[in-house]
Amino acid sequence: MQEEYKKGILDRLADFLVIALGSFINIFKRDWKKKNKSKMEEWRLMLYALNRSPPGLIGVFLVLVFIFFGVFGPRLAPWPYNYFPFFDNGTAYLAPPGTQVYLPSHETIMSLHLGADHYGRDLLSLLLAGARTSFVISIVVIVLGVPLGILLGLIAGYYGGKTDELVMRITDMFLAFPALILAIALSAVLPNRLQAFISSHAHLQSFVLWLFGLHMREAGNLGRLLSVILAMIIVWWPAYARITRGSTLTEKENLYVEAARAIGLSSWTIMFKHILPNIIGPILVYITLDFGSVILMEAGLSFLGLGATPPIADWGRIVYDGTQFFPKAWWLIIYPGLVVMLVALGWNLLGDTLRDILDPKTRRSIEFKVKKTKKMEEKEGEENA
Amino acid sequence: MKLEPILQVRNLKKYFPVKGLFFTKGHVKAVDDISFEIRRGETFGLVGESGCGKTTTGRTILRLIEPTDGEVIFQGKNIMELKGDEMKWFRRKAQIMFQDPYSSLNPRQTVFEVIMEPVRFHGIHVDDPEEFVIKLLESVGLNEMHLYRYPHEFSGGQRQRIALARLLALRPEFIVLDEPTSALDVSVQANILNTLKDIQREFGFTYLFISHDLGVVKYMSHRMGVMYLGKLVEVGPSDEIFEKPLHPYTQLLLSAIPVPDPELAKELKAKRMKVEGEPPSPINPPSGCRFHPRCPFAKDICKKQEPPLMEAEKDHYVACWLYSKA
Amino acid sequence: MRRMPEPILEVRDLTVHFYTYAGIVKAIERVSFDVYKGETFALVGETGCGKSVTSRALTQLIESPGRIVGGKVIYHSDKGPIDLLKLREEEIREIRGKEIAYIFQDPHASLDPLYQVGYQIAEAMVVHNTVKDLKEGLQRALSILKRVLIPDPESRIKNYPHEMSGGMKQRVVIGTGLTNNPKVLIADEPTTALDVTVQAQILDLMNKLKRDYNTTLILITHNMGVVAEMADRIAVMYAGKIAEIGTAEQIFKNPLHPYTQGLLKAVPNPMKRIERLDAIPGTVPNLITPPSGCRFHPRCPFAKDICKQKVPELKEIEDGHFVACHLY
Repeated sequence: MQEEYKKGILDRLADFLVIALGSFINIFKRDWKKKNKSKMEEWRLMLYALNRSPPGLIGVFLVLVFIFFGVFGPRLAPWPYNYFPFFDNGTAYLAPPGTQVYLPSHETIMSLHLGADHYGRDLLSLLLAGARTSFVISIVVIVLGVPLGILLGLIAGYYGGKTDELVMRITDMFLAFPALILAIALSAVLPNRLQAFISSHAHLQSFVLWLFGLHMREAGNLGRLLSVILAMIIVWWPAYARITRGSTLTEKENLYVEAARAIGLSSWTIMFKHILPNIIGPILVYITLDFGSVILMEAGLSFLGLGATPPIADWGRIVYDGTQFFPKAWWLIIYPGLVVMLVALGWNLLGDTLRDILDPKTRRSIEFKVKKTKKMEEKEGEENA
Repeated sequence: MKLEPILQVRNLKKYFPVKGLFFTKGHVKAVDDISFEIRRGETFGLVGESGCGKTTTGRTILRLIEPTDGEVIFQGKNIMELKGDEMKWFRRKAQIMFQDPYSSLNPRQTVFEVIMEPVRFHGIHVDDPEEFVIKLLESVGLNEMHLYRYPHEFSGGQRQRIALARLLALRPEFIVLDEPTSALDVSVQANILNTLKDIQREFGFTYLFISHDLGVVKYMSHRMGVMYLGKLVEVGPSDEIFEKPLHPYTQLLLSAIPVPDPELAKELKAKRMKVEGEPPSPINPPSGCRFHPRCPFAKDICKKQEPPLMEAEKDHYVACWLYSKA
Repeated sequence: MRRMPEPILEVRDLTVHFYTYAGIVKAIERVSFDVYKGETFALVGETGCGKSVTSRALTQLIESPGRIVGGKVIYHSDKGPIDLLKLREEEIREIRGKEIAYIFQDPHASLDPLYQVGYQIAEAMVVHNTVKDLKEGLQRALSILKRVLIPDPESRIKNYPHEMSGGMKQRVVIGTGLTNNPKVLIADEPTTALDVTVQAQILDLMNKLKRDYNTTLILITHNMGVVAEMADRIAVMYAGKIAEIGTAEQIFKNPLHPYTQGLLKAVPNPMKRIERLDAIPGTVPNLITPPSGCRFHPRCPFAKDICKQKVPELKEIEDGHFVACHLY
């Protein structure tokens, strides 16, 4: 069927990716490829649809770049986040972009492409290390907050009645506070307890430090960092409970749910095997959009002085510290701001595109910009003649 | 020849509450005290217009909806009282096929998964699942090419066949067919109806065939019941009802069908009963006989007293005062 | 019978394609037919045969990803013949709704649940400048309800759509469609969502109104019973092509195309005792890659070699009876 269209490089890349993934799974599951031809075809069509959406491609690109730096950022940074050149060479203090600073103790020249902060730290290195912080925080908040919301939403939506009332009224209580205010309050209250907890669990502490790419010396700061995460989890789940409940209510009207009941399947099987897979699409879109929102909120909280404290590299915190030196040291605000904006934009573009391509129906109604092959043009010419 | 009943419905009632702002405003009497029996191996047709309660009846019989009152005796057991393993037994013996082929299959399951799920759940042992499913698919007119496809790749008729294969996998004895072909095109409908007849003959199924399409009911069923506003107004052998409808509502219904034959259509149109208006709301049904406000033969008694289902002719029951001996 | 019938619509080689990324769906291909003044013309066929697309394409009512690829629709208006497909959007809007009106299948979706029925009718007329103010519009709305035989129209006019039954709503929709006394009324499955007893009432009403206002009715339906009752002439469509055109008499008494024959045999007639229905084997083809030659050949019991190779053209077999089949 697709042979009617001329394939671009991206389409061929899509073909390759799908076949590669299929073959990979096939190694572990016998006959998987044979049994899942239809699934692979759908994947392929999804990628084709993505290829036809420039904003989606930009989103994918931005997100991939963010993930790359989120994983490798701290290693790629030319200078560690906790090295303060200011003490070596006073000129490093708020050095503007492009400055070269000689560091006597290292006997090297430090190139500050994006300028330096008030400790003389290289802004580029800080941004790279900060990518890890944002990346880990957004993943942890989503991974822990979202499933809780989905579970409660499913239960409320499927059982309905009193269960629904109870779960949703609790959810409403959380939603009644503005999320940011609630998060501020929580992250102001939580740090001391979390600090005590994390200090008493050495393994956990070193794991968290490793996760954020931090030095042992930062152990005392973890409480504040974790408090922000916990606060965001607490404000994040209610939205998902509500979305999931809504989708569940609509989805359970479908006859296949009743068919499952007629077979005798239990409520839990129906919820998780039948309803959840069918409503996960729109939820996935929200998750994608929320990666951007979590990063924004985390930056916002840091900007308010909550959460990560120097020397931990954090995009929001850099801006917060930078405000004292604005407008002289404009780079401390412009560059991190730009980075946060691009990352949030990337996730949003990706989310919007996913909304279109995940739904088989909307996917099929996207108008296909036809690039006719030579053969088709000839054929049409003949027909017209 | 009277066959043994496989299922008996006794005084079945289902009222749905209508919620007001704070209190329940009233009840929709979707099914209001109906009784009938379905005999082993037959197809019992249930007809009526939308909102008459025929679908609710079908679901309540399978206990997909809990009834307000009444009993359903299936093979000697009152299914309203079944629990645990016995309920599981009933779920296996009695199945339902739905109207809408587009929402009755989980879009995320392949045909293989759709059919194997109930089999696994009921612990039915099959040596080679693939082989087993292929055989079932072949018996409903599909083939092994379709095994690992998703529902959206099929047309409406093919989906109904998949749904049918899912039922057959459990070897039920009693199947509720809830408008199984009303969403399909006529040529496809004919195929499905024929398949249903074939497998009935092959496996000895008993069907409850719910439909608003009288032509289809006539083609499919041995006996039938006509429902109006939650009540059964006439029950009897299909041929007899079509030939000589007793209840005025049945007469109206039969005269309103458009017949695919221009000459006959003109002839019937001239004879068509002129009944204005539409069925009233089932929240506050008319007193007495529920059809009396639209009935051209209504008498005084019709407004006051509800007519019981009486045997007017042998095995042919009607709820109408016109046929009362008194 | 029909001496020199005067056409009101002449459709020639109408072709609509849908550009989806799964491929190009050739929804209708070179559809040609005439509709005569004052008749009831039925377009019959199964889901996906293109009957609805055809009716919408007549006034360019095709939305993305669909596109009218070719053809002509000559409309004989009072001012002379116009090719409707050549008109610009503003020009076609003048005709659509006024001279060529539509009634769609679902009466529930055609009315806005938030407004009173009378207000909706009146407002539509104010927007189209057919009345000068809302007050006059409401007067007209009242006469419309009377015209479609709604009992107690004075109080019904203040009803919200949800307070009306399906049949009543469809009456309102039909009445609204007829407000501007259109020359052509296109009814797309007008009774499919309704019960048989209500259907009978609505069909009666449509016949009456058609006579009273001398409107040409194009009826789109899959129900052979409705067709038999209503239509003067019938076009049977299959997989985006016209299979057969003829008078109701010709189509029902002497169907020529094997598809028409199969279709008529597949309907269970409630007035006859049938032991077994004759079903048409196979399924409707995919319109992205339709079968070569005659699109019906894979399901046709009489298929010959030529049917696979050559697309059959419409041929006139008897007076006014056209069929696209190599058997003739």
